[in-house]
Order: sequence, then C-alpha cells, then structure tokens
Amino acid sequence: MPAATFSRCFSGRYITAGIFTLLLLASCSKAPATNAVNFDSPYPPESGGTLIDAMTGEPSGLIAMLAGESAASAIAANIFNSLLKYDKNLELQGELAQSWDVSADQQTITFHLKPGMKWADDTPLTSADVLFTWRLVTDDKTRTPYSADYKLVVRAETPDALTFRVSYRQPYAPALDTWASLHILPQHLLQGQDINTTAFARRPVGSHYYKLQDWRNGERISLVRNPYATQGPARINRLVSRFIPDNAAQFLELLADNIDVMNLDPIKYARIFPARPDLNKKIALYKELGNNYTYLGFNLKHKPFDDIRVRQAINYAIDKQELIDGVLLGLGVPVASPYKPGTRWSNPNLHPYPYDPQKALALLKQAGFEDHDGDGILDRDGKPLAFEMVTNQNKQREMSAVLIQRRLKEIGIDSKIRILEWASFVGRYIKTGDFDVVVLGWSLSLDPDQYGIWHSSQQAPGQFNFIGYSNPHVDKLLEQGRLELNPEKRMKIYHEFAQILLKDSPVVYLYAGYGLPAIHKRVKGIDNPAPPAGIGHNSYEWYIPQPLRRNEISVQ
Amino acid sequence: MKKVLANPLALAGFAIIAAILLLALFAPLIAPFDPNAIDVKAILLSPSPQHLMGTDGLGRDVFSRMLFGARISLLVGIVAVGIATAIGVVLGAVSGYYRGWVDVAIMRLVDVMLSIPTFFLILAVIAFLTPSIWNIMIVIGLTSWMGVTRLVRAEFLSLRGREFVMASQTLGATDGRLIFRHLLPNSLTPIIVSSVLGVASAVLVESGLSFLGLGVQAPQASWGNILTDGKEYIQFAWWLSLFPGLAILITVLGYNLLGEGLRDALDPRSSNATSKK
Amino acid sequence: MIKYLLKRIFWMVPLLVGISLVSFLIMHLAPGDITTTEASFNPKASEESRQKLREIYNLDKPVIVQYGLWLKRMATLDFGTSFATHQRPVFWQTIDAQGNVSKGMIQDALPITLLINVVSLALIIATALPLGIVSALTQNRVPDRAITMFVFIGFAIPGFWLALMLMYWTGVVHDWLPISGLHSLGYENMSWFAKISDTLRHIFLPVFISSLGGLAGISLFVRNGMLDVLHQDYITTARAKGLPENTVIYGHALRNALLPLITILGLSIPGLIGGSVIAESIFAIPGMGKLFYDAVLMRDFPVIMGILTIGSALTLIGNLLADVAYAWADPRVRRGIAQ
Repeated sequence: MPAATFSRCFSGRYITAGIFTLLLLASCSKAPATNAVNFDSPYPPESGGTLIDAMTGEPSGLIAMLAGESAASAIAANIFNSLLKYDKNLELQGELAQSWDVSADQQTITFHLKPGMKWADDTPLTSADVLFTWRLVTDDKTRTPYSADYKLVVRAETPDALTFRVSYRQPYAPALDTWASLHILPQHLLQGQDINTTAFARRPVGSHYYKLQDWRNGERISLVRNPYATQGPARINRLVSRFIPDNAAQFLELLADNIDVMNLDPIKYARIFPARPDLNKKIALYKELGNNYTYLGFNLKHKPFDDIRVRQAINYAIDKQELIDGVLLGLGVPVASPYKPGTRWSNPNLHPYPYDPQKALALLKQAGFEDHDGDGILDRDGKPLAFEMVTNQNKQREMSAVLIQRRLKEIGIDSKIRILEWASFVGRYIKTGDFDVVVLGWSLSLDPDQYGIWHSSQQAPGQFNFIGYSNPHVDKLLEQGRLELNPEKRMKIYHEFAQILLKDSPVVYLYAGYGLPAIHKRVKGIDNPAPPAGIGHNSYEWYIPQPLRRNEISVQ
Repeated sequence: MKKVLANPLALAGFAIIAAILLLALFAPLIAPFDPNAIDVKAILLSPSPQHLMGTDGLGRDVFSRMLFGARISLLVGIVAVGIATAIGVVLGAVSGYYRGWVDVAIMRLVDVMLSIPTFFLILAVIAFLTPSIWNIMIVIGLTSWMGVTRLVRAEFLSLRGREFVMASQTLGATDGRLIFRHLLPNSLTPIIVSSVLGVASAVLVESGLSFLGLGVQAPQASWGNILTDGKEYIQFAWWLSLFPGLAILITVLGYNLLGEGLRDALDPRSSNATSKK
Repeated sequence: MIKYLLKRIFWMVPLLVGISLVSFLIMHLAPGDITTTEASFNPKASEESRQKLREIYNLDKPVIVQYGLWLKRMATLDFGTSFATHQRPVFWQTIDAQGNVSKGMIQDALPITLLINVVSLALIIATALPLGIVSALTQNRVPDRAITMFVFIGFAIPGFWLALMLMYWTGVVHDWLPISGLHSLGYENMSWFAKISDTLRHIFLPVFISSLGGLAGISLFVRNGMLDVLHQDYITTARAKGLPENTVIYGHALRNALLPLITILGLSIPGLIGGSVIAESIFAIPGMGKLFYDAVLMRDFPVIMGILTIGSALTLIGNLLADVAYAWADPRVRRGIAQ
C-alpha cells in the first residue's frame, strides 16, 4: 500500500490528538502536594478559608416555605434566621428572639427580638419582617405546603419594632417548634412581589451567617460570609456546595481532596476507611444520630394485617439486629418508639420485639395460620400467607427488604419485593392505599407531635396515616399532646402513646441509622463525639487554619 | 456454515458466545452457592478459594450471582432482540415491498418512534407496569425495532430493482412467493447481523438501566445490577466491578465479533464470500 | 422531487402535533405528579395545599384538557414554566419588572450538551474515518484485525464503569484531569484562554466516553462501505484504466462509500441535543440528559414536553434532510421512488 496514503490518513487524527495534549499540559497547574502536611496538629481558631461540600440534588429555590427538598433547606438554613433555634442538646433557644414568654392561659406567645439586627443589605431587621413572613406563609396565594401550623394563629401583632406576639385559639404545644422552622424574610425586598415567581428565590437576602455569592445553575452555589450576621460572624469565609449527583463521583472527589465534606454509607465508613491509613491521615469520620427511623408498615385495611396477632408475629419474625449488622454494618440503633433514642420523648422502658420465630409461629397459629397443605407456606382457609413488600429506590431499604424476606420465608411467609421510583411509588401505591406492606422511613421534626401520621382523621388519600391506623385512645393522647405545654406532662403523654403503639404494632420499627459524615481534617473546631443536635450545630465555629487551606486558585 | 467458521472473527465470537451460553445454561449445576444466600458475617470478602469472585454487600457469593446473572442478561438480550426483529422484519418488508401510502405511514411511524427518546419510554412503561424482567425486555424490544425496519426496507427497495425480481413477476409469481422465496432470504444477512449486534446492545442497555435504578431489581442478580452495586467501591471492593464489567465486555465483544464475522462471511458483496454473480 | 419535499414538509406539522399528543399521554401514564415528590412527603405538608397546587397547575383537569391548554400555549411558542424549579422558564429566559433575568432551563442545558456532542462527533469522524479506511485497505490483515478489536472493545465496555475507572486514574491517582463538573472554582476570574482550557479539561473524559460507542459503529460503517465499493466493477475499471491508486481510493471509492455517512449524519442531528443521562450523571454535567431525567422523576411536565417537542422537531427535520440527501446522491433510490 502506498506510503502516501498512510500519511494522509493519520495526519488529521494526530493533529487533533496533539492539540488536546498541548491544551492539557498547558493548563495542568498542580496544587501543592498535601501529603507532607500533618493534618492532626492543633491550630488556634482563625478566620477565613473555603469549605466545599457536595450535594446530589440542586435546590429548586432558596425560599424554604416554597421549596421543601433537603438541598434547598440545607442551603437556606445558612442564609436565613428563624425566631428560635435548637441548641446542642436540642433545647429551644432564641435566634432572632432573645427571649419569649408564654401567657398564663398558654394561648399567647410574645417574642422579644434582639435589638440592632440587620439584613445582609444593611437594612434593620424588625418585628415587621416577622409579621410580614407570617402573613406570607398563611396567605392562600402562597404555594406553600407548610401553612397549616401558622394558620392556627388567630392574631399576630407587633406592639413595637422588637416585639412579636401571636395568639392561638387554644394552647398549641408544637407552636414553639414551628417558630424554630420558619425562615424570616425581608419585608422591604419582598413587599408587593409575587412570592411564587420572585427572583428573590434565586437571589436571596437573609440575615444569617452567610449570604449568596454566586449560583451557577447545575454546577454549584457559593455562599460568602455575611458581615451583618445577626448571630455574629462565622469563621469560615466561604461555603461552596457542588452538585454531584453520583455518589461514586463524590467519593472520588473526596479522595482527590476536591471536596471537604461527604456523607458516607456504612461500607465506606466501616470497611474502606479502616483499611486505608492514607485516607485517615487527611479525613476524619464522625457519627451522629439523626431524627429518623426506618420501618415496615402494614396496610391495616388489608387482611390479614387487621389481625394484631399477625402483625406481632411478623414483628417477632424479623431479626432487627441482623438488619443493623447486615445493612448498617452495626452503625445504627434499634428503636422501640417513633422517637429518637436518648431524647426526652423516647420512652426508655420500651424495648423492641426480640427475634423469636417460635413465638411468631405460635401467634400465627392462634390466628389460624398453619401449613395445612405441607407446601412450606403458612395458610388459612386455603389461602397462603403471601404479600408484596413495596419500597422505593433506596439501597438500605432494598437490602432490608431482602433480609426481611428471608426471615419471613423461614417461618413460612411468602413475600415478594417490589422496588419503584419515588413518584410512582407514592402515586400508585401510597395515595391509593393499594399496598400490602411498605418499607419506608420517617424523617421527623424535633417536636414530638405526630398527629399527622397516627391520628385516625388523617387517612384520606394524600394524608400521612396511609397505613390506616385507628385507635381512639391514641387519638386522645395525640390531641392531648398538642394542648399540653408542660414538658414533663407532655413527655408522659407521648411515652404512653409509644407504649400503645408498640403493643399494637401497626408498624415494625426496623432501625435508626447513624449519619456518617466524613470531613477533611483541615476543618477544625468540630464537636466530637456529636451532641444530640449533630456535629453541624456549631458549624459557624469551624475554622480552617491558613497552612491547611487548599490553593484556591487552582482548586478544581 | 463453513464460510462462517472459516472467518476468524466469527469463530472467535461464536466461541465466546457458546462458552457463556453453556455457563448460563448449567448455572444451577456449576454455582457453588445459592445466588440469594445471604450471609451477614461474610460481607464484602475478597476473592478466595471459597468465594472465587468474592462476596457482595449482603455476603452473597458473587460467582454464583454472576452465573445466574448471565442467564438474565442473555435472556433480556435475546428476547428483546427477538421482539424488535419480529416487528422490524414485518414492518420493513411490508413497507419496502408495497411502498405507496403503506410505506409512508410506516416510515412516519418510525419517525415518531425515533423522536421519542428511548429512555423516556422505558421509564414511563416501567414506572407504570413495575420493573420486572419481562417488562424490561418488552420495552427494549419495542424501542429498538426501528433500525431493523429501515434495514429491511432498504434491502427490499434495492432488491426490487434487480432483474430476478422482474423476471419472477413476469413469470407470474404472487406477492407472497416473491417476499418469502426471494426477497426475504436475500435480506437475511443484514437481519441476522443486526440481530446479533442488537443482543450486544441490549446487554449494554440493561446495565445502563441498572445504573439508573430501572434495571433488573433486587434480589435478582444481573450483571448490570452487580456492577452498579459495586460502582462506589471500585478501588476497594474491586471484584464487584471487575467481574461483571469484564463479563459484559466479553459478551458484547463476542456478539459483535460474531455479527461482524457473519456479515463478512455471508454478505455477497463482501470480498470474503463467494460471489453470487 | 419538489412535490415529494413539499409533501414531507406539509406533513410535519400534523406529525409534530401527533407526536406531542402521544408523548403527553405517555407522560400522564406514569402515576404520580409534582405533588408526590419526596420533598412533599413531609408530615408537616398539608394535603389541602398540595391539592391547591394541583389546581394551579391544572393537574386536576382531564388529560385532554391539559393537552389542549399546553397546545394553545405552544402555538405562540410559549414553552411555559417549570413546575419543579421555582417557575424557571422552560426554554428561554424571562426578565421581570425589576430587570432580574431568569435563565431558561433548556437555554442553560442545551449549549453544554451541544458542545459535548459536537466535539464528540468531530472526534468520532476524525478518528473513525482514517481507522475505517485503513481497515478496509488492509482487509483481514493485522492492521484490520487490530483496529476491529480495539474498536469493538471500546463499544463493549459499559460506559459508566470505564468512566469511573478513568476518573479514578486521572483524578485521584494522578492530578491530570478534573473528576467531575464543568468548570473549576474561580472560573469567573480566569482569562479567556484559561477558561477554554478549563472547559476542555472538564469535558475531555465525558467526550471520550461518549465517543467510544459511536467510534465502533462509524469506523465499521466506513470500512464496510469502502469494502462494498472497492469490489464493484467500476473500481476495477478505474484501475484498469490506469488511474493512480490515490485517485481510485479517494476520488471514487471513498466518495461513494461515504454517501451513507451523510444519512448517518442527518440522523444524528436530533441526537445532538440528547445528552447521555449516565455520562452527565457521573460527570456532574448539567446537560439535556440530566435535565430530562430529573424532569421525568419529578414529573415536571412542562420541561418534559418542551424537550420532547424540540427533540421531535429536530428528528423530523434531520430525517427529512437525510432522506433528501441520500435520494439526491444515490441514483438507484431515486429511480426506486420515481417508479
């Protein structure tokens, strides 16, 4: 073959490759090697630096009352203040309010705001802003799903610029918690605007430690320190949240020192990190219990789950410790009530059903289920004990379902697993009530009120008592719990509530998993071990010593 | 057949496919463990004499899961392509032979199908029908017949102009005879080649669907979902990625080699085949 | 020929309407809507407010009515606003009374996808053409076999697997390339040259991964096309006439072999705006694939319909161009149509 042909063929390709290589080499500015640095050395606190974390999703907007997803609330929480907040031990504390009084009839709360507060644009922050925000969240035209609690306020007034008073028709115990979750918005910027379409959602002005510096759509959000922060200055100058949808990519970025924070799963935490001393030199692992639990829920309107013996039997048949060991690699705790273990609301005298397959079989026998036809599956009146477990695409829930399926099979219950993406799952099964068993989780607020999940009046399609639980005594307790402001008395109400729930077993509590953040050791000032509020409670006090900061010019 | 086997590409491809088919067929006999046998104490063990390919996140033996996964991946590929080919051949033949408004209608249908992104259709159908293996196969089949249709139609169009067709028509052959005795057999090569290549493609699509969480669901094993399960631990639990990745690679390679080899061997216009002239 | 063209163009509008109707119906087949997303599964969220939201978005009306409303808006080329992303416009930016610009979602995502796809296509053609030609000219000898193997392996590797391994190698083990994302921190402050090189470095791996699949197909296509043609009589005639080999190959064979390539290019026009969901997800690239995928999961109907409409319009145009180009170029097909 003629040589001339070859050279013609290859030239084009080589030129392209050449250009690529040249550009690559030209722009390869390498960050200084971080291997030689000792990240464990102590350093005194100082100001400055950039903290980079990763999120799988992007916020739809930064007005929390409109945008409910976790990405939005996580970032908005750095920008806006509420009247109250929770301290490290999960006790209520003032944020914009320096104090508050509850009237003798327990129907009126008066908040006294701190003087001299400002918005990030140097405008005074007063009670007028609080009133404006309340009017906004209760306005029917505002497309917020969270108005119900605030609509219970029958009168809201501002006697002066530093006082905000709300009155309820009757005592409402969760009230203070609701005022710890409402981000106060600036009246002077939002007056006269349509909150549903305002550009403010993407260019917010708040009053908290950080203000928005830059939002590159689809790529990242950068927050920079707010010099007018009502709570004082934060130490770290800049927070960058990169949107990285894939967990594998996030982990690679963590390994390459391109992000500082990542939430790990149990395998990374318990198997990968312990085996890699090079990683432990620069990354520290933390463990914190969140306010959530995973459960298996029965559809109480479907036979045979209306029979308490069947529900209790399945509860005995599931080995919860195995779930914690297998799914969470031990990084979780068993739960016996719908509350975070270790908090006042969690009843310490309750214990989860032990793993007892014999007891399960005995209960099922009482309910009429035995293996009459010898096929290995229990049956009653000729119908086998078989059902479908539905769950969404969550790795831990999938694995839990697989383990549960095996244990149930051992005592003769035939179960199938169906996994769906979320919107279909809710639309097709939850809302219609057309399911047998679900494996789901609840992520709860810090107030113990769980009216929406367990009260018998909340069973309409789209409401959250979709399992169909109805117990008049529990209804009473839930109603009482909303009226009782005294913490001790309230605690007793919810302890009793949890006790009944455990006996009725409308759900099987599976576990509460730990949150497992991994944070680069350059970030100092972290409270370890984590207090009840989690390690993030004092994130404004974290700092990055100058010698440990990454070279911000060539950072990727 | 001799032509096929003489072609080294086809031979290599055929050998690979045969090996994998055999492994899949005899999976229950070869697999040392039940692919769904969970062992919470044996989570993420590296390959050892006991677990040739290590264990996964629930302690299940990866080698056994790979063998049973072979069945799933191959089944998905073959059935999906079967559906696509059946639809494609019928539509393409009718379109290419009768032409006229039938042709126009079918080609517009092809246009419509091509403009709706495959993934979207797959998601909608799977979301509505629930993600089972059969639904995945049907959906992949229903969204990949367009290429076969165009191929068959193109063949028919070009063959139609050939002398032997006109000769048969002059001799009074019916439409059916023409289609089945003359046109289809001569179009067979591109159909076979495209089917073989289609299986390769379907195996890759299944692994892509698993990545998005829409493939074969737990607890059933498929190469796609084993690979996806291991994607976050590539450096650590490398066996969860390497083996299914290699398996997919080799299988798809095998089908491609076979397909291309067949094309080389059987296509009368290629220099390898004996000329039909 | 003109009549044929006019007929095709005439039929495009009803075809587009038909496609949009079918898409709309399919979209509503999947259960759930914007109010059943994970964010709204919060016990603090009331059902009344979700119901209100459904009314505002017309989701409580019959599907046909919803389609009619959408069609009416589309007639004025108004693509609407997104359900899921705080009323961002679906297609092009809007400017409110205060002069704040709200960028359109497709406006943001499309250039990124176009960039990756065009560079990818260029890379594929630049590489596949020479590979295919060499393969054809050295048929069944070592270069042909080696190229075939290489190209097949490239096609057979599961994309996300290779992507993660390369990301690890080039980003963690060595500091050669960024791991994910589109721009580095501090991009805004870079010189224009640094900006270009930064973007190139970020899209290098995504482009590479995206091209591998197409590379196999196109290079084989070129190879087989060349082989088909090289064995035709007129090539033997040309050689017998004493023409130099280069003229035979490039003047006659290549040109004829490349005719079908035009069809392929025409058919790949709609593909240019379709980003790969998997690649964009892994590399954190906010392109059309990710936009579409997120929209489907969130049941963001305006965005879904917007993308499908643009996609189908481009497909129809692309198909028309491809068919016309091929018919014009290949006398045999022209004859077949005319009969």
